[in-house]
Amino acid sequence: MNEWFFGGTTDNWLAALRIGLGLQLVLYCMISRADWRQMFALDPGSFVTRDLTEALVTLGSTLVPRVSWFISAGEFIGLSEATVLWVAWSGLLAAGLCLVAGIFCRSAAIAGWFLHLSAIKSSALLSYGVDNFTSIGLFYLMLSPLPDHLALDSSWRKWPAKNAQLQSFWQRVLQLHLCVIYFFSGLTKLLGSGWWNGESLWRALTRPPFDIVPSEVLIRGKYLFIPLGLGICLLETSYPIFIWLRRTRLIWLVGIIAMHGAIAVLMGLYLFGLIMAVLNVAAFGIDLFRLHGKKVI
Amino acid sequence: MRFQRAYLIGFALHFFLLVTVASRDFFAVLADGSSYLPAALEPRWRALEDANFTVLGQKLPPNNPMRETIAFYLHAAGIEAGYGYFAPNVPYSYKLVFQLTYPDGTTEYELPSVATTETGRRLPTLLDYIAANRYEPLRQLILKMLAYSVWQHHRDALKIRAVFGAVITPSMSGYKRGDEPSYAVVCAYDFGFSKTERSPP
Repeated sequence: MNEWFFGGTTDNWLAALRIGLGLQLVLYCMISRADWRQMFALDPGSFVTRDLTEALVTLGSTLVPRVSWFISAGEFIGLSEATVLWVAWSGLLAAGLCLVAGIFCRSAAIAGWFLHLSAIKSSALLSYGVDNFTSIGLFYLMLSPLPDHLALDSSWRKWPAKNAQLQSFWQRVLQLHLCVIYFFSGLTKLLGSGWWNGESLWRALTRPPFDIVPSEVLIRGKYLFIPLGLGICLLETSYPIFIWLRRTRLIWLVGIIAMHGAIAVLMGLYLFGLIMAVLNVAAFGIDLFRLHGKKVI
Repeated sequence: MRFQRAYLIGFALHFFLLVTVASRDFFAVLADGSSYLPAALEPRWRALEDANFTVLGQKLPPNNPMRETIAFYLHAAGIEAGYGYFAPNVPYSYKLVFQLTYPDGTTEYELPSVATTETGRRLPTLLDYIAANRYEPLRQLILKMLAYSVWQHHRDALKIRAVFGAVITPSMSGYKRGDEPSYAVVCAYDFGFSKTERSPP
């Protein structure tokens, strides 16, 4: 087991995870900028007030980070709520940009994880899977042996290469986590009749506000709904087996990324598609290719 | 070797929690009877779900340090929820409509509005939460907050009726027959706000 976990690997996977998560944070900030204040301010006119959402989250644990911690700290030094929210948004954006560039990697990963976690917990009634998966990625990123060799930290600040054994350990953790995600996701789908007769896929694509493709266009592909629905279930449930086999890894990886790409395009869940592609490529994709162009397999 | 052992122990604990949470939500789906498995098995699934709750410390008193610590770790690692997205079946979507009544008797309709499409795609989480919540005062409070945010832009409105309902989209065969999406009201509340109110409900 030690050999499997600590066999040693390159840090290419970590570079992919760092850049991908940095990009994810930058896009999250850019997209939520217009609604940031409405999501977190206590002002009249806020959507669902932050204190209600945080009260619900606090029922689970009072230790979970939340935006009101920053607001309270800001008030202590005389900053208004609006200023603190702007600073938090800017901090998250800066963390994302630093991760993309590879500057102050560790600090950026910790700051990104903390700010992102606070934001999604304080807007828990408006968060969905993408936020959870970004949290998972940031959690592993901040614990992984940063910086990788592609980060500017390595070239400018001449930081030495990190322990290869720890590189492989954290990659294994991410790989096993993805196996659990897809196994349970696929297995739960298999228990619903809708995934066997195509109705679930149809309903997922016609359910507002994800009904981007008109129903009259979708119905033309009605014969594809049953094989595609079953295909998704089988692809996910068997992921923990076939993603490990050298012969089938590329097929499963391409299949899963294509599935997330289709969800992004057909349902408008672009951020969700991106984070799933990032996690999959970092966990299993980088080993298929060397970044310098030589094939590993 | 010692550091490797420490990492492996840490991983074992982390993985155990991850699988326990995923199993808990999986058994919850089975216990709810939304799968095609025999209904007679539901009490067993419920017992397994309960066992997972116990393992995760969620049956301890709310302020118990162990419960708090486990819950914090689950949130911090992003593993507090399972992975049954759109499973076992895709649920109905929900819609919230506000009917605004003005002093002269005219009425106007509004939908919850957000600035970006991405935030709009987050709204179903909120609407699903309202639908799933059986605690009437909390449901009413959330709807009142949403009504208040709408009233901020229509301060002359005398009354706002929040109508919350399920959007029933036709099945594939129903669509081929020409069925249209229908709207089934789940609940409706009337709210009135005075112009002197400055803070949210």
